[in-house]
Amino acid sequence: MIKTNLGTVTAVPVLQARGITKTVGAGRAARTVLDGVDLDVEAGEVVAVLGRSGSGKSTLLHLLGGLDRPDAGQIMLAGRALPGQSSRALARARLRHIGFVFQSFQLIEELSGEENVTLPARLPGARRGGEERARRLIAELGLSQLAHRRPHELSGGEQQRLAIARALVNDPELVLADEPTGNLDQDNGAAVLSLLRSLEQRAVVIVTHEPDAAAIADRVLHLRDGRLEEEGSPGAAALRESA
Amino acid sequence: MLAAAIVVADGLGRGFDRAAHAADLPDVIVRFDPEQATTVTQRIEALPDVAAFALRQEYTGVAIGANGHSSQGASVELVGPGRRGYAIVGGRDVSGHPGEVVVERGLASAWGINLGGTLSIDGLPLHVVGFAESPDNVSYPLAAARIYLSRAGLVRTSGGRLDTRVNFAQIWLRDPGNVNEVLVQARATSYGLEGVRFVTRSGLRVLLDQAAGIVIDLLVALSVIALATAAVMLGSSARAEVQRRLRSIGVRRAVGASRAHLALTQGFEALFVAAPAATIGAIAGTIATYHPTTNLLTLLNEPAPGTALLAPLLAGWLASIAIPVLAAAWPAWRAAGRDPVALLQGAELKPHGERRRGGRRRAGLAVLGARLVGARRARLVAAAITLGASTAFILLMLALASALASLETDPGALGKRYQLTANLPASDAARVRAIPGVQAAAPRYELDGVDSFSLDEPIDVIAYPGDHTQFEAPPLTSGARMRGPHEAEVGAGLAGALGLSPGSTLAIQLPSGSELRLRVAGVVSSLDHDGRVAYVPAKALLALDPNASEQLAVRVRPGANVSRISALLGNTAAPAAGATARGVPLVDTLRTILRAIAVVDGLVCLYALIQACTLIVSERRRTVSVLRALGAGGDAIRRLLAGAVVALVVPAAVIGIVIERLVLGPALSSLAASYASLSLQPTWLEIAAVLAGLALCSAVAVLWVARRATRETVVSGLGAG
Repeated sequence: MIKTNLGTVTAVPVLQARGITKTVGAGRAARTVLDGVDLDVEAGEVVAVLGRSGSGKSTLLHLLGGLDRPDAGQIMLAGRALPGQSSRALARARLRHIGFVFQSFQLIEELSGEENVTLPARLPGARRGGEERARRLIAELGLSQLAHRRPHELSGGEQQRLAIARALVNDPELVLADEPTGNLDQDNGAAVLSLLRSLEQRAVVIVTHEPDAAAIADRVLHLRDGRLEEEGSPGAAALRESA
Repeated sequence: MLAAAIVVADGLGRGFDRAAHAADLPDVIVRFDPEQATTVTQRIEALPDVAAFALRQEYTGVAIGANGHSSQGASVELVGPGRRGYAIVGGRDVSGHPGEVVVERGLASAWGINLGGTLSIDGLPLHVVGFAESPDNVSYPLAAARIYLSRAGLVRTSGGRLDTRVNFAQIWLRDPGNVNEVLVQARATSYGLEGVRFVTRSGLRVLLDQAAGIVIDLLVALSVIALATAAVMLGSSARAEVQRRLRSIGVRRAVGASRAHLALTQGFEALFVAAPAATIGAIAGTIATYHPTTNLLTLLNEPAPGTALLAPLLAGWLASIAIPVLAAAWPAWRAAGRDPVALLQGAELKPHGERRRGGRRRAGLAVLGARLVGARRARLVAAAITLGASTAFILLMLALASALASLETDPGALGKRYQLTANLPASDAARVRAIPGVQAAAPRYELDGVDSFSLDEPIDVIAYPGDHTQFEAPPLTSGARMRGPHEAEVGAGLAGALGLSPGSTLAIQLPSGSELRLRVAGVVSSLDHDGRVAYVPAKALLALDPNASEQLAVRVRPGANVSRISALLGNTAAPAAGATARGVPLVDTLRTILRAIAVVDGLVCLYALIQACTLIVSERRRTVSVLRALGAGGDAIRRLLAGAVVALVVPAAVIGIVIERLVLGPALSSLAASYASLSLQPTWLEIAAVLAGLALCSAVAVLWVARRATRETVVSGLGAG
């Protein structure tokens, strides 16, 4: 809810997911990892999704980011439905509206740090002004001295910060982070989490199995038996006990 | 490609042997002015080492016709009992019955004559009972049409009123290695016989082998290029596949699988693909080339290879399978030798290269693609070289096809400077010179001689009074133009056959029986008569053989109307021919084969480019998936691959043009120097066409591979090792 001079206005969530269902595997190995998941994320909100290994966290993130298609359900991103779109449209949606941060950074070794950050801005269909934004982001994140180096010459924390800059270069409304601190030590992990927390005006979804990572979130959700439960629910409590 | 090369090479390389064996080709063929059979028999029986001989009459310049076709210059051979020297390839041989005829297979193909059909000789209809083939000469239309009649049958038809003389003898020796000695004896015992000309089986073989040799060399070279390209690409692909499976290999090694087991497994997997692929390729290559090769062999009076191809094709098939199997097994063997822990870690290619210093670098997708392909430097170099070699070969094929076309249509390509000939005596030269538009006219003498020391080496003797270079000036390759009355210029083919060089002595046995001896002043490139030509002073020639054929060579002023001058000369005039005027079907067939080779080589280039793009996508699966996760659509992936392909194609094109201009073209020109001065440098238009072809292949490869790459889900690629 947003208060304006004209009264209270209900803000449309940046991300809306309803009844998301996904089965992985085939035959006797088929397993429903997501069973009717609902999720809303507002602009400026940080949502953490916790769950055990293999619970379907990454699968959920891939569906939210249009990297995969659900078996059932609806996903609305910036007012557009994702699942029904063509591969081309999904790619465009990822390019303009979504920023990805991966656990293993996924920087391209043949490019320098700056080139990695600038890469999404140079893809066909990218928003204008991307290179300027890239330079600004590199400066803001304290990476100016490192930007000309290749990824293998950088520490894990530095690489992840570059990856975050890359995720932001096209000014997306939604940032999806898959285990962003999974390959980092505690200090670097904390720095990265702080960075994600500082993103304003963007909806951020962090998928993690580390409770410390969830501490920065406005909301913490637990993925259990294919369903999302908000922290404080009995199921979430049971999950915390067993973790 | 290998199958195509085997079909053509085997067909051309062993065709003469097969034909000679099937036809029972004699070791020596002798032609002479008509003489009583008893006289000739006496002469031949006096020769040593003769196993058998046969005599016949040969009539030339006979008018024949069939199925709406006709020829005024056919050769009719009246065969008697004994060995024939030709093979019956359809129907049966002539018997003693009148009204039967056997026709040459090439003639039958050209005129659509079937068994049981009718062929007329000077209006006399004859029943076609069989088709014959003999490699002692090429077939119609490259040479005069040839038919065979039974002498006994013709005697019955003519009521016994038939010339009993003979002018053609075939001699089979007990030991063909003694042919030179027999020829020396034959020369000594040929007194009383006029116009004696010898041809031997080995001399025939040399003539045909030289022409076929170049084609075979080209095909072998192209096969090597195709195999090298395939080996490089398959090796790279196999290595990429092993790279992708490092973890799987590591697991199997960890549980106890041996290196040999892993290598054999990989090899067997490749076998399941290679065996059907090699089979399809062998069948396709054979089908593509068998018919044109058979057509070419028909013109050469040689049989199609038939089942003789099975053994070499099988060997080629096995080689085609062995290469990919070995290419798959070897990287697996090497990878399995690594520490299992390292294998279990897997990984994409490890980066190498120092930090880039200085300047702000902004690499787009195309530059990234170029960097990806450049990450494997050795493979990039090998791929560029093999692609460049293929490009060079295509350029060579196009240049050669153009050169053949110019030889066919442009006598000037052979050094001929006259445009017309006129069947007029030397005494008419002044009259012809006076015709408006005629720049020069001179008598041209020509006859067939043989080398005095190697009687099986034919020599086309050409003579002009005065400076022959006004009318014929084939390029001089060594020495100088002849000046004195005792000098000659010889073609490079003759020089090579007889070991002549400037300063050597040329001894020519003339049809008159006299011997002309001259000093070789220079060696020239001449395609006429396969380079077995000698330019001699007319005075010296006519003094020893006044019966040399005589015609006027007419050189037309630039810009003058050749047709008008030809009309003024009437039916005595004929245009100066390109060397292959009678060989148009042969040249057309050769050009077809060359173009087929160029197309196949183009497919090799396409294959190499598709493989290169596929390897990038396969080895950099995770990188491609990351790009797609960031929002790269099909267009972006195409740009990425385009950058990679450009990094490969541009150096390959440069390498190809350089190789053709500096290596292949000059090498083939020197091989063909005995034929003509061939400029085998491709024109700019041909280069542009090949570059356009490379660009098209690149575009196809990029579109094809990008389409396949974007079909995979992004998620599966993100987890790739």
